[in-house]
Amino acid sequence: MTVLAVDTHLLWQVVWVSLLAGVGISALFSLVILGAARSGEMRRAGRDGAAFAYAALAALAFALFAAGVVLGVQAMVNK
Amino acid sequence: MLWIVVATALAFDFTNGFHDTANAVATAISTRALSPRLAVSMAAVLNFAGAFISLAVAATIATGIVDADLITPAIVFAGLVGAIAWNLATWYFGLPSSSSHALIGGVVGSAFVAEGAKAVYGSGLVDKVIVPALVAPVLAFVVGGLGILVVYRIVGRQRPGPVVRGFRYGQVISASLLALSHGTNDAQKTMGIIFLALVANGNVAPDADVPTWVVVSAASAIALGTYVGGWRIIRTMGSRIIKMDPAQGFVAQSVGATVIMAASHVGFPLSTTHVISGAIMGTGAAKRVSAVRWGVAGNIVAAWVLTLPASAAVGGLTYAVVALLGSDDVGPIVVSAALLAALGLALGRRLVAGRTLTAEG
Repeated sequence: MTVLAVDTHLLWQVVWVSLLAGVGISALFSLVILGAARSGEMRRAGRDGAAFAYAALAALAFALFAAGVVLGVQAMVNK
Repeated sequence: MLWIVVATALAFDFTNGFHDTANAVATAISTRALSPRLAVSMAAVLNFAGAFISLAVAATIATGIVDADLITPAIVFAGLVGAIAWNLATWYFGLPSSSSHALIGGVVGSAFVAEGAKAVYGSGLVDKVIVPALVAPVLAFVVGGLGILVVYRIVGRQRPGPVVRGFRYGQVISASLLALSHGTNDAQKTMGIIFLALVANGNVAPDADVPTWVVVSAASAIALGTYVGGWRIIRTMGSRIIKMDPAQGFVAQSVGATVIMAASHVGFPLSTTHVISGAIMGTGAAKRVSAVRWGVAGNIVAAWVLTLPASAAVGGLTYAVVALLGSDDVGPIVVSAALLAALGLALGRRLVAGRTLTAEG
């Protein structure tokens, strides 16, 4: 639907993509920090299993964060 | 006239660089993620690189907003002067505002004075300037606010040391993305203007590739402007809107970068300045509404509202002066000389202000 000269479908798309990407990328990097910090704490406490789990969380979150960054650069290159 | 337009376009590119440095680096400087000089150096290099990444020439500045068939080099020249004047004025008052909107405003004003109302498309203005200007800060405010709430929820109970360090590292990445994105967007505008001038003058064919010297000069001008740094605006965005912690700085930058890229990806480009400013306010307000200095925020919003009419007024006035003096060469030369004098004065004052900058602003 177009109101005046504004494509409201496009506008809605901007809103939800921005919400998803903006909050998502912030949350992912926070999980990297949480995972890394807690992994260190667990290792020092001698809880190797938990340390590994947190390290895996940090690694996974970082991989997804890095993928987001690559997608962003791709979007810049291909626009 | 051609070379005057080229030189003025590069001058605009320079002001665009130093005016928008703050978008990429202000929060990183404020939270001490990067030293001021390292931050602007990094931003300058990435702006330069960004200019080469995407060469889909933005010969589209003001396309759909003014009648392209009526545009002459004199109109473009006057529009550029309007944009430069607004960039310098807002820099002087330390107010972040959109360089793109200033350029559009300048061209609209000069086209209106030159050709009358028929040269300006009202619906294009609504679609490409007014609606994005309303959407960008509100959207970034909401996403920034939600983003920081999620972040605090995730890391809120952790020891501050690793969290602060982690977000500072994150800010280096997000600042780099923003600087690169700025180079891909804003240097293109100048390339587009110079390319149009060359086409209009018969130097290159409309379907030719952009000459290498155009790409290099536009990239160099925006990088140099970025390196010089608009310290007054950096201070406003970094520490006068909110007093931010590294988590807020990271979220503001990351949300800014993702919103800009997401919007650009779906074909609805938003102003970087509006997005970053909105995100900074959102991360502050989500923590505590009174954390935002609403007086400063109000001044910034007032500058946004004034961008289009003010740059249009200067663009229109400049065109009138140029037309009066003779639009071949004399008018543009006289106006350019006055502009150069103003730019020299502005740079002199910037050097003084730059030396007093600290990370606390």
